Amino acid sequence: MASIISKLTSVAAMALAMPVMSAAALTVTVEGIQTAEGTIILGLFNEETYEGEGAVNGANVVVEGDTISARFEGLVPGEYAVRLYHDVNDDGEMNTNPFGMPTEPYAFSNNAKGRFGPASWEDAKFTVSSDDDVHTITMK
Amino acid sequence: MSFSRRGFLTTGLAVTAAARTGLGKAMAEPHHNLPDWHVGYRNAPVNGFDPAPMQLVFGKAPSGLSGSLYRNGPAQLHHGKTPASHWFDGDGLVHRIAIDDGKAVHSGRFVQTHKRKEELKAGAFLAPGFGTVGDPSFAVMSPDDVNAANTSVMMVNGELLALWEAGSAFSMDAETLETKGPKVWRADLASMPFLAHPKVEPDGRIWNLGMAGEHMAIYKIAATGTVEDVAIANTGKEYYIHDWAMTERQLVILVQPWINTSPVPPFIDHFVWQPEDGLKILIIDKDDLSSRRWVQAPPRAFYHTGSAWQEADGTLRIDAALYREPILGAGGGTAEITGDWRQEDGFSADFTQIVIPPEGDAYLIETGLDGEFPQVNPDFQGLPRKLTALASGTVPGRPGASALSVHNWERGETDTFEFGYDRMVEEFLFVPKPGGLREEDSWLIGPVLNLKAKAREVCVFDAAHVSDGPICIWRADYTWPLGFHGTWA
Repeated sequence: MASIISKLTSVAAMALAMPVMSAAALTVTVEGIQTAEGTIILGLFNEETYEGEGAVNGANVVVEGDTISARFEGLVPGEYAVRLYHDVNDDGEMNTNPFGMPTEPYAFSNNAKGRFGPASWEDAKFTVSSDDDVHTITMK
Repeated sequence: MSFSRRGFLTTGLAVTAAARTGLGKAMAEPHHNLPDWHVGYRNAPVNGFDPAPMQLVFGKAPSGLSGSLYRNGPAQLHHGKTPASHWFDGDGLVHRIAIDDGKAVHSGRFVQTHKRKEELKAGAFLAPGFGTVGDPSFAVMSPDDVNAANTSVMMVNGELLALWEAGSAFSMDAETLETKGPKVWRADLASMPFLAHPKVEPDGRIWNLGMAGEHMAIYKIAATGTVEDVAIANTGKEYYIHDWAMTERQLVILVQPWINTSPVPPFIDHFVWQPEDGLKILIIDKDDLSSRRWVQAPPRAFYHTGSAWQEADGTLRIDAALYREPILGAGGGTAEITGDWRQEDGFSADFTQIVIPPEGDAYLIETGLDGEFPQVNPDFQGLPRKLTALASGTVPGRPGASALSVHNWERGETDTFEFGYDRMVEEFLFVPKPGGLREEDSWLIGPVLNLKAKAREVCVFDAAHVSDGPICIWRADYTWPLGFHGTWA
């Protein structure tokens, strides 16, 4: 169960300049990873960016066990949601079957689940308010 | 003599049954005000059926008949007092009737799907489905989250698969019927829909379709279970495609004008019948899946085909149980599940041959035979042939079939054995006799529900002489719900 503290690597469109005043920090822990290989591609979103591609912040974390963690600092206190997928084969894409259904594991914050689509912002959002917030996501 | 067999069926078995008290009767008795046939629409025991010998109650088991009849069908049709919203949405239970050395042993297990586990825990129907709205809080991340695995079964290289149509097949242990999980044919095909009516060439190669909206996947799978090819086609609209047909060289896909207009469950509420489109037929070359042509036929609805074949001049022939308009639409089967069915709720198929000339539109040869669950000799799948077996006949006062028929296209004749009111007849399968070369060198094996005895029976006929009556009958002293389709392995 040893957590692997991530080294944050670049995620496209993640780096929005944020005011540093009263900055908060968040550690996202992902448990129950089925395959100890590949990379967890994790995006942190606010309400404005959740439906699209532009994450507020993000992390690519190499998987070496069944758990990973990623820490985000300098966040504006407020509501966030996480979307992530496990790039098991490290091809940089969320693989799908010929009908576009995901074939690699994916998850949302609050362990929210969709109904014929992604989990909604309302179901996935959570509040980050201090400099030591922790949010845990369990892969199905 | 056929007469003596008939006589026994209407007298002898009933007397034998009346003398018995068994689990079947005990299961049936709590429902005092329901009609006798409702026993076919009640829940199976939650843990299924442990292996139990069936008793040979009539005839002599044919020597050489050795193997297992596997069947699937919805067997959780109520949670508490709440009936399923549609017959197609009950959890699948796979039966095995293992026959060897003249003895038959029945067992059955529910397919342990995500839907089954969650609904059993809650004691309620939760998953959205073909005819079910579902609980809005029930998450659907993949088609397999709502997979009922309740429609048919097939055996691939020793692996038993429980089939649905809008999601994966489910792998099961062929002996214990223990569920292993969704079948992944190839990593990139996870969660792909796989219809419950795959077609198997006599040499074992499997072809099947998978439908999602207007997208159609075409699977070509070796007898070993290895995927040889997957192609994608587009039908233009979200037609309901449940079954299809195949010749030696072509896939023959009947596209009925029954069209889904919304992705919101219950899906059946959004199907629209557009007879002006007619029945379109998509013909795909098996050697070149990009070679496709469309043919037009008169408007008909259907669920099941027998099979197709091609003649020397290029003419294609397909037989199928056709309807003038869709059946089992919104609320399909609920009148049976609640016991409120009335005669006017009944419907009639017309067993029909669709003829596609080398050029021009298709035309129909209608037999007037009201039959369903058409089956052919598996050694003749896709090849020129003449025989199709069907569950047929209607009797006043109850739903379901009452007879077994074999139609002979060459002679234009139908050979029928009528069981009468007391036995509800399900799908019968051809089992080629060892060493037999002709289509008719087969047995037909299938289950019936004996309403008088409140017991289940498995009957064997000679496919060449169906009207002579069964060769033998095994009985379990209990019942199980009516199902859909099976396989012999």
